[in-house]
Amino acid sequence: MATEVVEVEGHIIDSLILAKVLDAILDAGAEYRIVDVEIGRASTDTSRARIEVQGPEDVLATLITELQLHGANRVEDADARLEQSELDGVLPEGFYSTTNLATQVRLAGHWTDVENPEMDCAIVVRDDGPARTAPMHRVRAGDKVVVGLDGVRVQPMERPRGANPFEFMASEVSSEKPKELLVGEVAERIRLAKDAGRKVLAVCGPAVIHTGAGPDLARLVRGGWVDVLFAGNGFATHDIESNVLGTSLGVLLKEGRPVEHGHFNHLRVINEVRRRGSIAAAVEDGYIPGGVMYECVQRDVPFVLGGSVRDDGPLPDVYSDVVEAADAMRAFVPGVRVALMLASTLHAIATGNLLPAGVETFVVDINQAVVTKLADRGSHQALGIVTDAGLFLAILADQLCN
Amino acid sequence: MCPPEHFGVLYEINPWMHREVLVDADRAREQWANLKATLEQAGAEIEVLEAAPDQPDIVFTANAGIVNGRQFVPSRFMHPEREGEVPFDVAWFEQHGFTVDRLPDHVHHEGAGDALPFGNVLLSGYRFRSDAASHAYLSRLTGAAVRSVELADERLYHLDLTFCPLDGRRAIVAPDGWDRYGRRVVEALVPELLVLDGDDALAFCANSVVVGSNVIMPSCPPTVGRQLEAWGFDVAVCDVSEFLKAGGACRCLTLALDVTLGPQGAR
Repeated sequence: MATEVVEVEGHIIDSLILAKVLDAILDAGAEYRIVDVEIGRASTDTSRARIEVQGPEDVLATLITELQLHGANRVEDADARLEQSELDGVLPEGFYSTTNLATQVRLAGHWTDVENPEMDCAIVVRDDGPARTAPMHRVRAGDKVVVGLDGVRVQPMERPRGANPFEFMASEVSSEKPKELLVGEVAERIRLAKDAGRKVLAVCGPAVIHTGAGPDLARLVRGGWVDVLFAGNGFATHDIESNVLGTSLGVLLKEGRPVEHGHFNHLRVINEVRRRGSIAAAVEDGYIPGGVMYECVQRDVPFVLGGSVRDDGPLPDVYSDVVEAADAMRAFVPGVRVALMLASTLHAIATGNLLPAGVETFVVDINQAVVTKLADRGSHQALGIVTDAGLFLAILADQLCN
Repeated sequence: MCPPEHFGVLYEINPWMHREVLVDADRAREQWANLKATLEQAGAEIEVLEAAPDQPDIVFTANAGIVNGRQFVPSRFMHPEREGEVPFDVAWFEQHGFTVDRLPDHVHHEGAGDALPFGNVLLSGYRFRSDAASHAYLSRLTGAAVRSVELADERLYHLDLTFCPLDGRRAIVAPDGWDRYGRRVVEALVPELLVLDGDDALAFCANSVVVGSNVIMPSCPPTVGRQLEAWGFDVAVCDVSEFLKAGGACRCLTLALDVTLGPQGAR
């Protein structure tokens, strides 16, 4: 398989030249990806399109010659252009902005992998190691940052082969498909990931606890099925509240009714954990007798609690600085193969922004709009399941732990 | 226009040219003079470029370049045989007060023979003599919206053998000379088409000169004539058989000097 990049310019839309070029690529049995399109606004402005063409080498050679007939010229492979950042946390103007796809940069004539694909970052080239993506705030003055589009290419996602839930589902969001079957598929993907030595990440919103699924999630952590947990102050607080006081936001979970002064409960719990200095300390001294956070501490499952402006307390482990929270989350992303987004919007979106394409993502929420929003994030593999996270986790825990 | 003092078929750069076919120099001069007179009678003013020795095809002034107001973009010929014409064309335009703007040397374009205005658009052919890649440069140099049409028949190797704008709404077309995308582009552009069938196209009926409501044609089949008359045009036929030996007809022998391209509309 070879790749070439061609560029065509002119009134390519009105002339149907762009259509012709794309048709020619497909007719030849090759594939294209539009790298960049600039469409002229006024009828007198020209348009320009840069197209990456992929196909077998022999096909490509003839095809490129044909495309040149229509005015599409091969873009000479050039090294990536680098500019040094002048200020900490500020990128050079015109910096290349990444996608979550596997990315390569061309340096001194050779294509090398960029180490940690992440979207909406810059690419920093180092003398003493591979190129890496870096979010804006992590760039330091003097760092060599890739600018422009030259010398960068991305690896489009391969279509998933074989039976898997992404083929199983005709659509990406499934409010009307049999849930037990879907959960079974998710369980299978989790097992495969674990067998391959890869990690499972769970992102949880407080609704997981409110809906009574804390014990099932705790079972999954205890069973070794969750390797990393991302959540916020709310999830951890109500998980602890439900294990210490039996309530979540003051509602007795076993009976489903609020208790008097129940709204004090979560504050009391946060306060006691703060007194002890950390969730781990509160587990060690027995204040927290069980639950998801308990199991994470007991099994050394790392968790990152990202703060938000509405937090009470917060719990001492919560990162109040959201930039630090994101960096903490970033550290645990390498090696993740499966991500479960459970009844969370905020943390799920934040996590989705950090994950490279290719992580199998399952988005579970009772709200179709949230699922659609999260599942529809571009080329990476995401499956949306519209259902109560509680029921989902109950079935998943039964499938994996029994 | 440029008189056929040195015209002949001295090389073969299109399917119509055969060196063994001799040009009758007297007849060529007569036909040229007749064309000129017919155009003048129709109301055109003719300016003349002196014929250069060793440039037999310089008579085909349509290929000298693109005229846009007082701007002249000289051609970059596909075949080296015609490259020698360029300095003579450029000199003439410079002497007549035109600014000369050039296309880059890596692209070919053969002037008004391959690019004709219709409304705000400059329709430009490519494949046999002009490159698609030249169109973006042409657009930038002239400010015109250039729409590309791929020519599909080697015998109809210039756009002006397949396309003749008549007025703001109508054109004579030979769609067999284009690929399917080209046909769609022209259909989208021209509200009323006079479509030539294969034979009429090969008789170069589309290679006609329009002066006001007069259409001066190398030949005119009855159906075509009737349609033109119904549209209010007066048809005159000029025999240019000597020039057909080199693959050119009426329009190829002329270059319109009163053309302005660009957003204000082609005139």
